[in-house]
Amino acid sequence: MALIEFVDVGVRYQRRGGGETVALENVSFTIAPGEFICIVGPSGCGKTTLLHCLDGLHTPTSGRILIDGREITSPGHDRAMVFQSASLMPWRTVVRNVTYGLELQNVPLREAIPRAQAMIDLVGLTGFEDRHPGELSGGMQQRVNLARALVIDPEVILLDEPFASLDAQTRELMQTELLRVWDATKKTAVFITHQISEAVYLADRVVVMSARPGRVKEIVPVPIARPRPASARRDPRMFEIEAVVGALIDGAHAEVVTA
Amino acid sequence: MTQLTQTTAGLVTDDAPLPRKQAARSGALSSRTTTQVLSIVGGLALWELLARFAVHNTAFLAPPSIVAVRFWQMLLDGTLLYNGWVSLQELIWGFILGVAVGIVVGAAMVQWKMVDDALAVWISALYAAPIVALAPVLIIWFGFGLWSKVAVVFIMVVFPMVINTQAGLESVDRRLLLVARSFCASRWKTFYTVALPSAAPFIVSGMRQSVGRGLVGVVIGELFGAKAGLGNIITTASSVFDMPTLFVAVVTLALAGIILTAILRSYELRLAAWRDVA
Repeated sequence: MALIEFVDVGVRYQRRGGGETVALENVSFTIAPGEFICIVGPSGCGKTTLLHCLDGLHTPTSGRILIDGREITSPGHDRAMVFQSASLMPWRTVVRNVTYGLELQNVPLREAIPRAQAMIDLVGLTGFEDRHPGELSGGMQQRVNLARALVIDPEVILLDEPFASLDAQTRELMQTELLRVWDATKKTAVFITHQISEAVYLADRVVVMSARPGRVKEIVPVPIARPRPASARRDPRMFEIEAVVGALIDGAHAEVVTA
Repeated sequence: MTQLTQTTAGLVTDDAPLPRKQAARSGALSSRTTTQVLSIVGGLALWELLARFAVHNTAFLAPPSIVAVRFWQMLLDGTLLYNGWVSLQELIWGFILGVAVGIVVGAAMVQWKMVDDALAVWISALYAAPIVALAPVLIIWFGFGLWSKVAVVFIMVVFPMVINTQAGLESVDRRLLLVARSFCASRWKTFYTVALPSAAPFIVSGMRQSVGRGLVGVVIGELFGAKAGLGNIITTASSVFDMPTLFVAVVTLALAGIILTAILRSYELRLAAWRDVA
């Protein structure tokens, strides 16, 4: 039973001065409940657009996206987005950044703060509740970003290249942390990245996209047992799958060049 | 679970937070303060010497020592407090109205394109124009009491407030607006949870700039017609060449300007603190 269904999704933009850009075309696949999906592809393949459509920030020009059988037309409490860096409110403390989504749902603070505290503990930021985002490192800011999404208890968590601006070491650490949190919360996750090793390490299935127009080129399963500790990165099967995904993306690049 | 917590604790130390910002070095600060104090003392001494040995005529220039004595007398007999209170009330009401209307109009201009199209020309023209020239007209409309001066202060304050509010709201980080939408914020909630806090430093900065203009409004308003107030003291004192009294009023106004600006400045710095580290 699928939780999310992409049915022939297409997105077109009118270009200024006539003509149109096809950002996405014929995107169809399904996501099962509790699954961790990574979407990879060359830049300009429309992966962020696809994620924005799933969140309801953007409406597809054609096709439909269903969640629990209902069509997505706007943002909802069943989905929460972890944005790229610098999307925290710099004037709010860590805890009040995390309660933000609950405040918008009119949850009183005396109830929202304990819920936020539980998520802050989960992402490993205990003791930093009253700091402002400007006082935190990039990795810690992304932990807050993750807690802010988790606290509204969504069915699906959407992650838009959340670790792209982190240094390599922090990035690997955050990937392991993300898997730990995901294991603890049992959410369905859709993660966008352009880094192949990140996608393979995190995902149950990797959706490889081609560019211009953005299409699903292939879906590569990652049949490696969970939980995956940091050492799972050195599993030879990991490298094999990375090679497969890499070849598919190179192919996607070649298409762009020859097109 | 224990193991999990341990891992987490270890990870946090690796991925350490940035150190909190250090306060300004006290050594540099004290040398700056010394220069400032010396400058003030020197200026007062020069004024005293000029008035005593070069001008010799207190109807033309009163030395600071005499002004200080007159200040003390006027403070004791209540003249200063009464007139200062009259002026302060005019300033406060005009300022509150100007700030409130300025924020609402500025916000409306950002929220609705049509309001912006209709008002932008007027606002920028009136902000640039020496609008204080309208003071006599306002005195005629609103009489010699409190409200004519409130009106003068209002027109001095409202335009910079509109422009600053607008600039602040337009500087909002688009990514934060997207966050609000993703979390299902209504238009109104997006405004007061994202746009307004982003604009707050600009708005307070506008208030700081407006306080000085508001004080000018008080004095000009009172010059054209008033029964009391610091501007009124200036008018009556100058008509009888009572230079010390005139300077007392001027000094009081200057002090008020300095104090009010400093209060708003400290508030502005506190609000902008997250800006520096972000």
